[in-house]
Amino acid sequence: MATIGAQIPADSWPTYHGDYSGRRYSTLKQINTANVKALTLAWVYRINTSRAGAIVGGEGPDTPPPGTPPQIKSTPLMVNGTLYFSVPDHVYAVDARTGRDVWHYAWKTRGGDHIGNRGVGILDNWLYFLTPDNYFVSLDVKTGKERWHHEIASMKREYFSTNAPMIIGRQVIIGVGGDALDIPGYLESRDPEAGNLVWRWNSTPQPGDAGATTWPDEDSMAHGGGMPWLPGTYDPELNLYYFGTGNPQPVLAGSSRPGDNLYTCTIVAINPNTGKMAWHYQVTPHDTHDWDAAQTPILIDGEFNGRPRKLIAQASRNGHYFLLDRATGEHLLTSKHIDSLNWTKGINAKGQPAHDPAKDASVPGTLVSPDTTGATNWPPPSFSPDTGLLYFGTRQTFSVMYLTDTDGRPQGWAAAERNVGNVGNALKAIDYKTGKVKWSRPFAMGPGGTQGGAVGLLSTAGGLLFGNDGGGNFVAYDAATGKPLWHAGLGTNTSNGPETFLLDGRQYIVVGAGDSLYAFALQQ
Amino acid sequence: MTESWPNDVQRGTRGTRRKGFVSAISACSALIVVTVVVASGQQQALTPVADTAAVERGQKLLVDQCGFCHGANARGGSGGPDLTRSVIVQTDEDGKQLGEFLAAGRPDKGMPKFDLPRAQASDLAAFLHQAIYQNSNRRLYKILDIVVGDPSKGQAYFNGQGRCNSCHSPAGDLKGVGAKYEPATLQGRLLLPRGRTGNPGVPLYADPTALQVTVTPPSGEAVSGGLVRLTDFEVTLYEAGSGRMRSWLRNGDTPKVTVTDPLQAHVDHLTRWTDAEMHNMTAYLASLK
Repeated sequence: MATIGAQIPADSWPTYHGDYSGRRYSTLKQINTANVKALTLAWVYRINTSRAGAIVGGEGPDTPPPGTPPQIKSTPLMVNGTLYFSVPDHVYAVDARTGRDVWHYAWKTRGGDHIGNRGVGILDNWLYFLTPDNYFVSLDVKTGKERWHHEIASMKREYFSTNAPMIIGRQVIIGVGGDALDIPGYLESRDPEAGNLVWRWNSTPQPGDAGATTWPDEDSMAHGGGMPWLPGTYDPELNLYYFGTGNPQPVLAGSSRPGDNLYTCTIVAINPNTGKMAWHYQVTPHDTHDWDAAQTPILIDGEFNGRPRKLIAQASRNGHYFLLDRATGEHLLTSKHIDSLNWTKGINAKGQPAHDPAKDASVPGTLVSPDTTGATNWPPPSFSPDTGLLYFGTRQTFSVMYLTDTDGRPQGWAAAERNVGNVGNALKAIDYKTGKVKWSRPFAMGPGGTQGGAVGLLSTAGGLLFGNDGGGNFVAYDAATGKPLWHAGLGTNTSNGPETFLLDGRQYIVVGAGDSLYAFALQQ
Repeated sequence: MTESWPNDVQRGTRGTRRKGFVSAISACSALIVVTVVVASGQQQALTPVADTAAVERGQKLLVDQCGFCHGANARGGSGGPDLTRSVIVQTDEDGKQLGEFLAAGRPDKGMPKFDLPRAQASDLAAFLHQAIYQNSNRRLYKILDIVVGDPSKGQAYFNGQGRCNSCHSPAGDLKGVGAKYEPATLQGRLLLPRGRTGNPGVPLYADPTALQVTVTPPSGEAVSGGLVRLTDFEVTLYEAGSGRMRSWLRNGDTPKVTVTDPLQAHVDHLTRWTDAEMHNMTAYLASLK
């Protein structure tokens, strides 16, 4: 297996992001702006969620619960010519050359939220993944046979797990999700051999801790949320793991938790060996709109104000772009990445959007932009060091948020939301140094107006940016200008981050759309 | 955390059929009807308590025996913590763990012992589990009384700053609108009345409130209709007269495509509303019975 570092290897895709930087930038250029028009389908793999023929494990009943067909949201790992990816309750190993089955593992679920699964982690001969009912499972990479499984959180408290395990050295780092009830978030490291707990980092402080003054009392922080539900990024030189935390609880009502509510909606840097926090930067103090900060914090080695810096950038769900120094957490830049947002009192001295209580959910309704899904979301953004541009999908939605729980101790979401419209979604490319939009491309339109939104992206040294247009097309754009150069009408929007690798000297582009994985290569 | 609910990140545009092969550039010559598929989104691990009589008995027990310390709704009271957030309660099975806890109490924290019969512990648990379920399931949340604005100010805005009267009239298209919709729907529709309610089965592109498009091929007549889909690569429309769907591949500015939104004034207004103006307008329209 190739070494995992700050650069995606040519011949594999060994982590969720391909490397540790989160840039989703590949140095491959066999496919490039000059020849991308000759890109053609190599194979299609449609997932089968039947347990027949699969290796079956799990603690649930023999009959699967009813549900809608899952979407592929995981970015497959590609190791030794095999792709490994997941949807809730299922892991697939597929031959990267042919798109044919190697093995399929099916998990008998006990239930829980099956909204998505980000993928698997692989260390040597072992594969790791999480299930909606909160099991941490290890399989044999070659055969798909289960080695063990451990329960990591209680489904009865509405925890569910979607994260892709992130492997750093001998640490397998996983996080939990869930915000239907007021439960605390945490990130864990598990040992790769037995799956036992090594350390746990809690998203909210204990009484007496530094962040405790940002909560009114012990009860509120013990039920304060902050789910770290997406894989993060890692700087091997600084030995720091970076990730974003989820929103505070109760979600849309902040009356019982006055204060900034650390460490929710926060970019956090921790030592992956110990789980000890090195620094933190909260991108939404006292969030009341479900705008977690889980979006990928991207590591950029580049110039800022005339000198080279180790930077970390996030296009955040709250509609703002943040640039920090990743060694220290020093704030460098904040800018708005959508125009419609209407919920802040401006930017405070620390560069944070200042909470405006007038835009909290209210009984007669508060018109808020963006809606709770946010200005952007989990689908992986991309950064190209060639263009210096950060690419991500944006939404300018409006919704009315109605406070429904007027108790002094509101619970859960505590409010209802009605979507009412949108003033334009677009794929954007921003200059990482200034936060200014270099180019912006509106997404497809349907009978109700603009479509699209957050989109999984990949940039390459071939000058290309791969993503979808919100209208069911998989598109290769000129990364410098945003001009579409090639597309495939898949009929459904891509649903994961595209990836690329070289196999037998041929460059492949692989992307998931709904229930199918598509591979493209140059016509031979 | 939720990645999305109830919004459109979870939605996809899904073809009516799967294309077996996709070639460069011109892959989409076949008509593909785009429908919005709302995925299941949030799914609950918890389910409602089936035995409603047990829930009622449990509620009475709670009010009588626990309410003083833990509140009549179990969310905490004078000194006692919120029971619906309790890990013991949340992970309890049918009163078993709760009953065991009550039998021992927590004397160090001032929680006395309660030796409840098994059936009563089960009832108490039924009430608490139902309360937890209701807290957790935001689909069940009830929007409260939202008609709190000043109807006369709403009327003034309608005829003045809002310029609503340039298209609408209380005696015409809005006659009886206050009786037609419940208030939250009314409020949503005054912001953006896209699509007709009570008309299931009619796709949005066939509705007059859909975006409209005119396509003019280099040689040939302009064709207009409801917009089905416009991307950089294709445009598809629905001709109401013939009931036909038609599509063209796009190559830069060819064919010429012009999109209009019959609700553009509403879309533009989204960025201008204050919450007070919105509440006043809701009150005014709600008064048009």
